[in-house]
Amino acid sequence: MQGGSTGVGYGLKYQARCISDVKADTDHTSFLTGTLSLKEENEVHLIRLSSGGTELICEGLFSHPNEIWDLASCPFDQRIFSTVFSSGESYGAAIWQIPELYGQLNSPQLERIASLDAHSSKIKCVLWWPTGRHDKLVSIDEQNLFLWSIDTSKKTAQVQSQQSAGMLHYLSGGAWDAHDVNAVALTCESSVQLWDLRTMKTTNSIQHAHVRNVDYDTKKKYMLVTAEDESGIHIWDLRKPKFPVSELPGHSHWTWTVKCNPEYEGLILSAGTDSAVNLWLVPPTSDDSALDSLVESPTRRVEPLLHSYTDYEDSVYDLAWSSREPWIFASLSYDGRVVVESIKPHLPKK
Amino acid sequence: MGVEDGEPLDEKAKRMRDLLSSFYSPDLPSASLRPNASFSRFATLDTINATSFDADHYMNLLVQKANLEELLKKHVEMASEIKNLDTDLQTLVYENYNKFISATDAIKRMKNNINGMEAKMEQLTEKMMSVQSRSDGVNTSLLAKREHVEKLHCTRNLLRKVQFIYDLPTRLEKCIKSEAYADAVKFYTGAMPIFKLSGRKEPSGRYRSVSEPWNPVDIDDDRVLYHPLSGKVFSDSESIKARAEAVMLLNQLNFPVETLKLKLFEKLEQFLLDLHLEYKDLKDASADVNELPNQGNVNVSASAAAHEASIHEFAEALRAYRVIFLHSEPQLFKLAQDLVMKEFEAAHQQIKKQLCSADLLAILRVIWTDVLLLDKVLPGAALPDFTMQAALIAVKDYITCALSHLLLDISDAFSKILGMQKEGTEEVHPLQTAFEASKKAVIQGSMDVLLDFHHLLNENSELLLKLRGFTMDWVQEGFQNFFRKVHNYFLLLCGKSNSASQDRNLIEGVPGDKVPAGLVLVVAQLCHFIENSAIPRITEEIASSFSGGGVRGFEYGPAFVPAEICCTFRADGEMFLHLYIKMRTQRIAVILKKRFTTPNWVKHKEPREVHMFVDLLLQEFEAIGAEAKQILPQGLHHKHHRTDSNGSTTSSRGSTLRDSRMSRSNTQKARSQLLEAHLAKLFKQKMEIFTKTENTQESVITTILKLSLKSLQELVRFQTFNRSGFQQIQLDIQFLKSTLKDIAEDEAAVDFLLDEVIEATTERCLDPVPLEPPILDRLVNAKLTKTSQ
Repeated sequence: MQGGSTGVGYGLKYQARCISDVKADTDHTSFLTGTLSLKEENEVHLIRLSSGGTELICEGLFSHPNEIWDLASCPFDQRIFSTVFSSGESYGAAIWQIPELYGQLNSPQLERIASLDAHSSKIKCVLWWPTGRHDKLVSIDEQNLFLWSIDTSKKTAQVQSQQSAGMLHYLSGGAWDAHDVNAVALTCESSVQLWDLRTMKTTNSIQHAHVRNVDYDTKKKYMLVTAEDESGIHIWDLRKPKFPVSELPGHSHWTWTVKCNPEYEGLILSAGTDSAVNLWLVPPTSDDSALDSLVESPTRRVEPLLHSYTDYEDSVYDLAWSSREPWIFASLSYDGRVVVESIKPHLPKK
Repeated sequence: MGVEDGEPLDEKAKRMRDLLSSFYSPDLPSASLRPNASFSRFATLDTINATSFDADHYMNLLVQKANLEELLKKHVEMASEIKNLDTDLQTLVYENYNKFISATDAIKRMKNNINGMEAKMEQLTEKMMSVQSRSDGVNTSLLAKREHVEKLHCTRNLLRKVQFIYDLPTRLEKCIKSEAYADAVKFYTGAMPIFKLSGRKEPSGRYRSVSEPWNPVDIDDDRVLYHPLSGKVFSDSESIKARAEAVMLLNQLNFPVETLKLKLFEKLEQFLLDLHLEYKDLKDASADVNELPNQGNVNVSASAAAHEASIHEFAEALRAYRVIFLHSEPQLFKLAQDLVMKEFEAAHQQIKKQLCSADLLAILRVIWTDVLLLDKVLPGAALPDFTMQAALIAVKDYITCALSHLLLDISDAFSKILGMQKEGTEEVHPLQTAFEASKKAVIQGSMDVLLDFHHLLNENSELLLKLRGFTMDWVQEGFQNFFRKVHNYFLLLCGKSNSASQDRNLIEGVPGDKVPAGLVLVVAQLCHFIENSAIPRITEEIASSFSGGGVRGFEYGPAFVPAEICCTFRADGEMFLHLYIKMRTQRIAVILKKRFTTPNWVKHKEPREVHMFVDLLLQEFEAIGAEAKQILPQGLHHKHHRTDSNGSTTSSRGSTLRDSRMSRSNTQKARSQLLEAHLAKLFKQKMEIFTKTENTQESVITTILKLSLKSLQELVRFQTFNRSGFQQIQLDIQFLKSTLKDIAEDEAAVDFLLDEVIEATTERCLDPVPLEPPILDRLVNAKLTKTSQ
């Protein structure tokens, strides 16, 4: 990071796994990140990119009772976010609100709006509907899917429905379809399950093992991107779940996370345990012939990798596109280093 | 006077004529006399003859000029002149009068003559009329009789013809008996118009009775004539000329020669079919002849001779028919082409049965001699060209067939490996044998095929000489396609191709994702081998024998592009190597995952021994090592050590730092620990864990090892450990450290990664107190002795 890096850096005190774009903040490009420290007091940082884009400023520093395994910002209220945390054996999830006058307070305390405390096993993540205001929340633990009805003003959260994914399926994460308020994709050991929240049933599934992370394409409906431990990145059309539409080589080690750009179709960021962030541009594949040509002439196809950011000292577990400035993303490596980069110099010239 | 008389007499006559002429044509003298008038002043005595004569003037002039004597003389002269003139006048008038009188007489006579004429004319007209009416009468009275005479004449003619026809059968019979068919046909054709006439006139009624008996005669004649003639045509014993004549005669008889022709051609086609049947055996026979030219197998040569004989027969038949049937050439051409086609069909069947080039050559040679024979008979059929086209296809087919057989051989080699692995055959080096087998299948197969193709080029027959250029192109093209197919096959075999349309026959019931990892490694190595050894050799071979004479346009470039193939296979080799690594690491990852997700690490018990997952891990590594050592080449040891020496020193420095830190970790705060770790990393050279994998044993093993250890680290980071859990990991890692050294080539990286695991465990541990080194050593040694036993 000390040389050759184009990004703007910001250091957390401890190791960290999760970063989230504050989507509801339309005035600034800001991110929320939380630390993962077993023994120290964990913190949530609200980081803002300065107007010139040259500096990352800490806008708020809040202490958090446990180490944070997952963090998601509320897409319609910039002061609300959710965390999944653990201490030793116990796991929990909560919705927090940043106090209003935090700038003037010396040691501002986060206000816990609600605890999502119906879980009996390890909580994996909490999902907000990414597109807009929605009074529902999804939380996933190893075996169950919960649909919560929340009221931020009344500060209540109630389980609306709950369904087990089955004893043998260890859920590991998920994503909420930006196009369909009722569609959620869950990753488990051997497949990706597609759920309908109205019926709380699996509608379809992609039989593909070792999926670690999943993301819906925000621009193109039915498109799902998955990241696997060994086999890289696959892009699926949910209408044809037998074979992937496209395949990207991924990372040297595990591909940990994938994120589709909220504005530009086909732009995908992936982060992996090989301490790198890769920027991909997937050529739009409208039909199967493109797939065939891709498979048959691997040497002749256009290189989808636009750039590989390798200035990280440790595994990169999370990254977030800025929805306000969609050419900017923030990445977080395990050593607690936030780097905000612009992809502009790496975009192909048109 | 006498003399003078003569003169005036002439003068007198002349004057008379002048006068007369002036009388009849008054204009003439006026023109000649006019100048006299103008010269009147100078008038002489000569002017007396002019019209403008002035008597007074003349008198005065005369009196003035002449003397008396002269005057008297003049007087006398004039008096005589006047008298002469008077007489002349008188004679003139008289003559004219006479003429007038005679003219009047003539007119009077004419008038009298005309008066009688009119009556005579009327008489004449009357007579003419009567003559005409009489002649009309004669005509009408004669007409009926004349018609009758004409009809009688006609009847006579017909009767004569009838007589001829009645005589015809006997005559024909006689002719046929004496075999004078030409005469018979002449008679018959002579009779034909009558038959036709009678046929046409039949409805008129008058001839019906006559024509009725003819019909049986007619049919009878047909049979009588046609039978011997067509028999003649069909009989092969007759000379071609006689047969041709017979056909011509039949043609004259309006016999449907076409049906005859059809029958004959059917016969010929049948002959062709029979020929085809015996041809099959003959292929082998002729091939044998070529293979064993010295031994001279009697049986074989007999069948070859039989084939030759039948072809000769066919050629003769063609020759005959060509003469016999005038317009049969297109059909004959077709027949000849059919023959060639059949021969090539047989050849194609042979090609499908994977015959060697010598056989193909023999077949082509036989075909070519046949074709040359036929061409002599039917020069217009363009048989050589036709054969050339067919031979082109045959050779092309042969090349594709040979190469697809080669592909099948290769896939057979792989299926054998698969079968072997399924049955679990115990063999010391299954992969090595498989690799050697497939290598052999590729190189030996290609070389054999090339050698085979070489025979095609060395053949000196005219046909193949013409095909040389094409053959070269096809060989090149064939190899290009062959390698493309091999590439596709590999993809399919390793489940990398998910297009269902592809031919899955090559893989016998092996689902794409169940391919054993070892096989993938074999494929990877085979790709490497093809790229580095097979392609150069084949390229060399092709360059030496199959280039230069190509007919392919320059703009397309050569059909065989080794660079492209090499590129494909290099990419393939890398891809399959990565696939192998991926498959292997995936298996290891499963073991590791199980290890770390099953126990409750927070409530872990104190470590008693090295956990058994380490054994599993080492087993896997051993398996990989065994596989890699069988197939993969050894890397250049020295080179690697030199490059890594740098890394290993930094790593050792890093580990010493970490060790010291670990000892202090009890007392120091974790925060400073992290800071220190950061600092250490800052000063330490960044360890390149994920280097490019090379195609060597060491590189592959090390890569898999590194990836596995990295996975281990990542899995550790997911857990929270108590002190015992931490110590267990510490123990396991310590044991791995001592054992993995032997496996990995890049010791530094492995050490570094193992340290990273320890560090990660430390970070995720609630109470990171390491085991005492003596205990650690004891447990590790216990395990070591246990495994060595």
